[in-house]
Amino acid sequence: MIVNRLIEKAMRKAQGAQVTLGQSESTNVSFEDDKLKSAGVAQSIGMSVKVIVDGKIGSSHTTDIDDVDGVVARALEAAAFGSPAHFEFPGPQEGPDVEIYDDAVVPVTKEEMVRIGEEMMALVKAYRSEILVSTGAGKSVSKSQFANSAGMEHTSETTSFGVGVSGQWIRGTDILLAGHGFGWKKREIDHAAIARKAIELLKMAEKIAPIKSGDMPVIFTPEGVNVLLLALRLGFNGKNVFLGSSPLAGKLGEKIADETFSITDNPLLDYANGSGKYDGEGVPHHVTPLIEDGVARNFLYDLDTAGRAGAKSTGNGVGCGPTNLVIKEGDTPYEEMVKNTKEGLLVHNVLGLGQGNPISGEFSVNVQLGYKIENGEVVGRVKDVMLAGNTYDALKEIAAIGDKAEWAGGSLLTPAIKIARLSVVGK
Amino acid sequence: MRERMEKALSSSDAEYTEIRIEHVTSSWANFRGEDLDNIGSSRTLGGIVRALVKGGWGYATFNDISDLEIRVREACESARLVGKEESRFAEVEPVVDEITAPLEKDFREISLSEKKSVIEEYNKIILGYHDKIETSNVGYGDSFRKVWYANSEGAYIEDERPDVGVGISATGRQGDNVQRGFESVAGSAGFQVIEGLQEKAEASARRAVDLLSAPPVTGGKYTVITNPRLSGVFAHEAFGHLSESDFVYENERMKKLMVLGKRLGSDILNIIDDGSIRGLRGTHKYDDEGVKTRKNYLIKDGILAGRLHSRETAAKMGEQPTGNARAIGYQHRPIVRMTNTYIDKGGATFEDMIKDVKLGVYAIDMVGGQTSMEMFTFSAAYGYMIRDGKIAELVRDVVLTGNVFETLMHIDMVSDTIEWPPVGGGCGKGGQSPLPVGLGGPCVRIQNVVVGGRQQ
Repeated sequence: MIVNRLIEKAMRKAQGAQVTLGQSESTNVSFEDDKLKSAGVAQSIGMSVKVIVDGKIGSSHTTDIDDVDGVVARALEAAAFGSPAHFEFPGPQEGPDVEIYDDAVVPVTKEEMVRIGEEMMALVKAYRSEILVSTGAGKSVSKSQFANSAGMEHTSETTSFGVGVSGQWIRGTDILLAGHGFGWKKREIDHAAIARKAIELLKMAEKIAPIKSGDMPVIFTPEGVNVLLLALRLGFNGKNVFLGSSPLAGKLGEKIADETFSITDNPLLDYANGSGKYDGEGVPHHVTPLIEDGVARNFLYDLDTAGRAGAKSTGNGVGCGPTNLVIKEGDTPYEEMVKNTKEGLLVHNVLGLGQGNPISGEFSVNVQLGYKIENGEVVGRVKDVMLAGNTYDALKEIAAIGDKAEWAGGSLLTPAIKIARLSVVGK
Repeated sequence: MRERMEKALSSSDAEYTEIRIEHVTSSWANFRGEDLDNIGSSRTLGGIVRALVKGGWGYATFNDISDLEIRVREACESARLVGKEESRFAEVEPVVDEITAPLEKDFREISLSEKKSVIEEYNKIILGYHDKIETSNVGYGDSFRKVWYANSEGAYIEDERPDVGVGISATGRQGDNVQRGFESVAGSAGFQVIEGLQEKAEASARRAVDLLSAPPVTGGKYTVITNPRLSGVFAHEAFGHLSESDFVYENERMKKLMVLGKRLGSDILNIIDDGSIRGLRGTHKYDDEGVKTRKNYLIKDGILAGRLHSRETAAKMGEQPTGNARAIGYQHRPIVRMTNTYIDKGGATFEDMIKDVKLGVYAIDMVGGQTSMEMFTFSAAYGYMIRDGKIAELVRDVVLTGNVFETLMHIDMVSDTIEWPPVGGGCGKGGQSPLPVGLGGPCVRIQNVVVGGRQQ
C-alpha cells in the first residue's frame, strides 16, 4: 500500500507516523426552480501525514499523489515547531462490525437520479403548482487506506446516497421556504416519502399565524432538536472540557438534565453518516453514553486530548466531536404532545444558530420554519419571531419526549422534544 | 498550461466550455490555551471543467490534471443529459490577462516557526490578561491560490489570489458563565497585516472579562445603531443575498417582487456591491467566468436599481453581466455571489444619530449572520444600551432580526464616513463557504429592530 511507503519514508526521521489516503468519486444531479439544471462528477484524492519528531507533532496534506517526498518533508518541517505529543500511535486492534458499504449505491446512474428528482418534483407540484421546486440526488463511493508506525492498518470502502427537495412559495412579499432531505450510506431511501414530508411542512404553513411575545412551551421536531444540541456538541467535546471553556467541565456524575433525557454517541449504527469501524486515528469505535437519565456520563476524546486530560480516547479523533447522536425515546406520542399544548411554538428550522455564545448554552435564533400551536392544534406558520433560551436550562425543563425516534439528517436519531417554557419575541 | 487547456477545450462539442485549474499552498498554526494545538501545511492541485449544452450544465472536478480531454468529455456528457432548451449566456469580450499579486512581505517565504511565534505572543497577552481568562484560541492561516482560467471563447486568465489572516479569541469564565471576546484581521495581502496586533489581543481579553459582568440585552424592539463592521453584515444579510439574481432569474414571482424601480428604502439609502475596490478581500479583477468586476448599485436613493449577475442570469434577465460569478475553489462551480457590499455614506455624524434616541442599542462588530431571503438575522459581538441620547451599559447576546421588506424602510440615518475594517471570515451559500467578502460601511441607524434575547 502507498500508505506503508509513506510511513517508511517518514520513519527515517520521525519516531512515530500516521498516514491516511482517501479517494472518492461522487455524482450529483440537481433541479433548480422546476428545471433540470446540472449534472456532474467529482473525483478527489488526498493524502494526510502526521509525524512525531522528538516528542512534537507536525502534519501536512496534499492532493498530489506523486508528491510523496514533499508531503512527508513538510510534515517533518512542521514538527520541528510542533505541539508536544501526549499520546502514542495505537497498535493493531480489530474494530467492531458496522455496515458502511452498500453495493446497490454503485450502479445508480445519473438517469435514475434525474427520475428521482422528477418524481419528487411532481409530488410537490401536484400539491400546489405555484410552488417553485428544487430537488437533487447524489451518490458517492470512497476508499481509504490508513496506517501508522505502530502497525495499525486498515482499508475501508464506503458508499453514500442522498436526496432532497425544497419548495419556495411566494405570496405577495411573503417568501416561504420549506423542504426535506435525507442521506446516508445506503441506497434505500423512499424519495416519495421525503417529498411527502416536505409537502406536509408546506401545508402546515399555508396560513400565517401571529404570535405574541412571551414565555411559552416549545416543541422541537427531530430536525428542530439541533437547536438544543449545538451546546451539547461543544460542551461534551473533550478539548473544550480540558481547556475549561465547556460549562460541563467537572460535572461528570452530576445531574444536568431532566431524568427522562439520555443521549449517546453511537458510531456503530449501520449505514449512518458518522459510522465506521475506526475513528480517524485508527482507534476502534464504540458507543459512548453522554447523558444517562439526566446525569452527565462521559466526554468525547481523541488521542492527544485524552493524553493531556488523563483520559482514554473514546474513538472521536481527530477533534473530539460526536459521530452519530442518538436521543432515547420517551413515552409521549407526538400528536399528544401537540394536543396538550394550549398555546405554544413548534420549531423545525432556525436562522442564526451558532452565532453569539453557543458553548455557554445560550441561543437566540430567528424561527425560519416554525408553527403556532393553539388549543392543541397547529394553526399556521409564524414569521419574524425570535426564540431565545439556554440549552442547559431547557434540558431541565423537558415537558415531554416523543415515543418515536426519527432520523434528522444521516447522523442524528431523535424523537421530538417539548420544553416547558422558552422565551419567544414576536412583533 | 495555456496550451494544454486550449487543446482540451478544442475537443469539446458543447456550446460553451471552461476549465479552471487551481494550485493552492497553505499553512496554519493554532494555539488553544497554553499549548500549540496544531501546525502544518498543505498543497492542493485540482480543476473543474464546466460545459453548457442546450441550457443544461455538466461539470467534472478532479485532482489529477493529466487527462483534461477526458474531463471535458465527461462534463459534455453530463451537460447533454441535462440540456433541453436553448442556451442563453451573456456575451463578453474574451480577455487574455495575467494578474500577479506582489506581496510586501510574502508569507510563503516566512518559516512556520515565525508564523507560530507571532501568534504565540498574542496568545500570551490573552492568557496573562486577567485571572478570569479561562482559555484562548488564536489561529493563523494563509493561502496562496494560483488560478488558470480558459474558456472556449478564447479567454485565458492567470490570477494570483493571496489570503492571510489571524483569529484571536479569548474565553472568560466565572462559574457557569462563559463569555468570549473575538478579534480578527485578514487581507488579500502579505504577512505584515497580521503583525503588530498586540492591542487587538488585549482588546479581545478585556471584552471576554467585561462581558462576564454584562447583562444579556432584554428582548424587544429598539432603535439600533450599527458600527461599520456590523453595517457591512447588515447590508450583506438583510439585502445583499436577495440581490443575487440566481434567486430571481427563473422565478416569475420573485421577478415581480424584485422588479427594478421598486421602492425598498427611504431616499437616503444606497447599497452598492463593488468587486473592484483596491485591497479588499472581496476584490478581484475578473470573476470566475472571466467577467471584469465593477461597481454595481443595488439600491439607489431607496429604489431597487440593479442586481448581481452571472453570465447566465444576465442573459436570461436581459441585463448586463456584473462580474459576480464566484467559486470558492476548483471543487465548485461559480455561482452568483457578493464581493464587497456596503451601504453608501450619508450626511449624519454619530452624535446626530444618537442624541435623540431615548432607548436603543449601539450594536458593535459581528459574530455572524444568516438569511432566508425575506427574513434575516445577524449577531453583534457586543453592544451598549443607548439611554437618553447617551451610551450606557455594556450588554451581551445582541442578536438582531428583521424582514427585508420592512427593515430597510426603517433606516433613517447614515453616518458620513465609510470604514473597511480588515476582518476575517466569509460568506456561505450553496455549500460554498467561506468565500472572502469585504464587510464595511458607515454607521447606520435603524428604527424598530427586533432584538432577540430573554425577556426580563
